[in-house]
Amino acid sequence: MRTPGHSARLALYLGTVIAVTLVHHPVLLLLALAVIVLLSGDGRAGLLLRAGRPVFWVLLLISSGYLVMGWLTGEPVLAPLLLINLRVLVLAVLTAWMVRDVDLDRALVRWPGARRWLVIVRGQVRLFRRLVQDYHFAQTSRTVVPATLRQRYRRSAAIGLAALDKGVHNAEMVTLAMRSRGALHD
Amino acid sequence: MHIPDGLISPQTYFPALLVAAPLWWWAGREFSRRVGDEALPRLAVFAALAFVLSSLMLPLPGGTSGHAIGVGLLTLIFGPWVAFLAYTLVLLLQALVMGAGGITALPVNALAMGLVGAWTTWLLFRLLRPLQIDLAVVAAVSISIVVSALLVALVLGLQPLIAQAPDGSPRFFPFGWSVTLPAILIPHLFIALAESALTLMIWRHARRRHWLPVESTGST
Repeated sequence: MRTPGHSARLALYLGTVIAVTLVHHPVLLLLALAVIVLLSGDGRAGLLLRAGRPVFWVLLLISSGYLVMGWLTGEPVLAPLLLINLRVLVLAVLTAWMVRDVDLDRALVRWPGARRWLVIVRGQVRLFRRLVQDYHFAQTSRTVVPATLRQRYRRSAAIGLAALDKGVHNAEMVTLAMRSRGALHD
Repeated sequence: MHIPDGLISPQTYFPALLVAAPLWWWAGREFSRRVGDEALPRLAVFAALAFVLSSLMLPLPGGTSGHAIGVGLLTLIFGPWVAFLAYTLVLLLQALVMGAGGITALPVNALAMGLVGAWTTWLLFRLLRPLQIDLAVVAAVSISIVVSALLVALVLGLQPLIAQAPDGSPRFFPFGWSVTLPAILIPHLFIALAESALTLMIWRHARRRHWLPVESTGST
């Protein structure tokens, strides 16, 4: 069977996200979750873990707070909590699946401007991340004492400035490279 | 401060999309007019910096943490329309590449943090610049963060009022304003101070490197 292209997958993902916010029955959402997990193929456990990590604390905070509120007011809270948790979880799993299986470079093939922007920003983000990681390793390898709040703020500041210098230099190189290849049409 | 998918009702995100779409179109026009292809890589650098800033968790007193936004920095360097558009793209990338924030929450996040954050920064900066330029940067950025946080708190607190089941129970975010306002605003007062200090430092650095447009440097 021919699998849909990346642009179609992205469109399908966007449509499904909207559809999920229009469903208010926990059973249907549970069914949707089961279908998504089944269709997502190999690496389901990793996908669930990846999806659950960013929303876990949000859901825990909302659920525990709402449970306490329900306990204090005596109102039933389990049904709405189930609905909210399931919906957020379905959307998180769907997004994690999309992030794993949709190649945005290919999905945006019809929009070269957006694609170019994506490539440049993603490249810069990787550069900044590597710089942050290098700096973090450099600092932790030189001391066994955990950084104080002041040191952590100073570290963030130093990373910001170093990243900016490196990033702007890199951007200038990119501009020259793009111009030399005729991408700027001048 | 990013709102994940599933907590904002269609009653909120569809009207927000209707408001945001023409503003994105207008911002796109302003972008083409003000920023040429040549400046695109530099804008991408600052957009990436905003991306990283909003992924960096800032430690707060009491053991909690929050993330910076970065839209103030974009505004001071590229102006409010370009900052709004660039920050929308940052939010979109965060949603599609990292799975942070959300697609349905994108118009709300973009309007609250991108549009309102950028314009508040810009107007306050221009208003306060004659008094003292460093103060103008700090005040503009910190107040804009608090204003954006206030908007996010108001939108979240509105959900149980406008998206209820027939029995009155909430279908999306369940807490009202009595919870969302203090829970979001108080941490963001600390975040605003930290981010404005960080923005001032980067802005001074950018001024030393002559990266800023004349209107943002305070020169007459």
